[in-house]
Amino acid sequence: MAAGTLAGIAMLVLGESHLSLPGYLMNPLYEDLTTQGATVHAIGACGATASDWLKTVEVPCGADRFKGDTVFKGRAATTSPIKELIAKDRPNLVVIILGDTMASYDNETFPRAWAWQGITGLTKDIAATQTPCVWVGPAWGTPGGKYFKNDKRVELMAGFLEKNVAPCVFIDSLKFSKPGQWATVDGQHFNLAGYQAWSANITKALAALPVVQGLKK
Amino acid sequence: MKQAGVVIAATQDVAACAVQYSNYSVRFARVALCVVGCVFGALSNAADIPLYPTGPSADSSFVRFINGTDAALELTAAGSKAKVQLDAKTPTTVFYPVRAKSDIKGQFTQAQSKSDIATTVKAGEFVSVIALADGAKLTHLSIGEEPDDFNALKVSLAFYNVSAKCANAGLQVVGRDVLLFEKLGVNALIRRMINPVKISVQLLCGEQATGAPLELGELIAGERYSVFALPSASTTRIFIASDAVAR
Repeated sequence: MAAGTLAGIAMLVLGESHLSLPGYLMNPLYEDLTTQGATVHAIGACGATASDWLKTVEVPCGADRFKGDTVFKGRAATTSPIKELIAKDRPNLVVIILGDTMASYDNETFPRAWAWQGITGLTKDIAATQTPCVWVGPAWGTPGGKYFKNDKRVELMAGFLEKNVAPCVFIDSLKFSKPGQWATVDGQHFNLAGYQAWSANITKALAALPVVQGLKK
Repeated sequence: MKQAGVVIAATQDVAACAVQYSNYSVRFARVALCVVGCVFGALSNAADIPLYPTGPSADSSFVRFINGTDAALELTAAGSKAKVQLDAKTPTTVFYPVRAKSDIKGQFTQAQSKSDIATTVKAGEFVSVIALADGAKLTHLSIGEEPDDFNALKVSLAFYNVSAKCANAGLQVVGRDVLLFEKLGVNALIRRMINPVKISVQLLCGEQATGAPLELGELIAGERYSVFALPSASTTRIFIASDAVAR
């Protein structure tokens, strides 16, 4: 049997609500990554922004999946400081899947200074541990819905992340589909088919990155 | 390049539930199953996600304080006994996060001279409050900027000119016929991105080289810096500071 494209890589995967329910990205992505040989610890925290991963912050829901055990949490969910998570897990790759929680879809003005502060705070803490990292940007949603997600702002958010996540390597999820192609339940969260497609694309894109290929054992 | 002015003071997609059967009972049963299935699908996907904000109600705002005089001074915040010494070794504070549109009050103190600070900061704005000597008196100036050039792959370098002795200020790369900045007015700033290289710069007032060249050191990609041109006893001096934000 051929080794998977991610064989031998220990990943710490952090994300927002997309990683916080079983029907969302959590299960398909965990399964796709582990099928390709990665060891995965995936943690989701609803509504968490980049700066929320510098400390412990209570969030309305979340999930934690590691070594096959999955815990989906309600209001007991929190984020954890990235440096503590890295010290505990000792991953050789950190994957951040964040964007929608920082796009301020319902605000006419994009909060650049706030977003920059949070993003650079997180990337600097990761860089301080000398752990390679990959940042997966937001995918197209469907305009409207209760989060007011819209194509123009999600494009701005992805572009902002692309310029500001270094030394993390950026994966642009907007390239995985056309606007509105993946159906959503509320404008922002996809149905299972959308999450399966997003997961397959993330897994493929990760495996193609030179930084990831260099980690394969 | 940008030049800033002076600021004084679940539904699940219930898709595919269309059913066409001639037999009413079969049709009813299929529709009922479909509805139940769709509702459960919706619940499993969306019902447990409470609404959360996708960003702050207002952008972040920051303020820092700079000693633009030739001697040490103290900075105190209104309502606090804590003092910050700003001297030749550490002439600036970091940028402190503040609430947008709130009143920022404090005081610069140098020997017997005092200058009361009262300023506000707009959402998304970075304000620098610069203490200056006006003869024997102490005064200050606030200069704000609303940057939109955030980029982790480049160095962001600002040039502040607060020296009335230096009209049309510029910075030239030493040893090269390259102007990083030119024709900057008094009490203004300009910012641009540069590559993370090690360079020295020469202050120009008009077209006249002024003072000694300044080595900017190892500039790091993703970091932000400011070069200040400040009035000195008989001329204009420059120094570089990091635009670091407090954590």
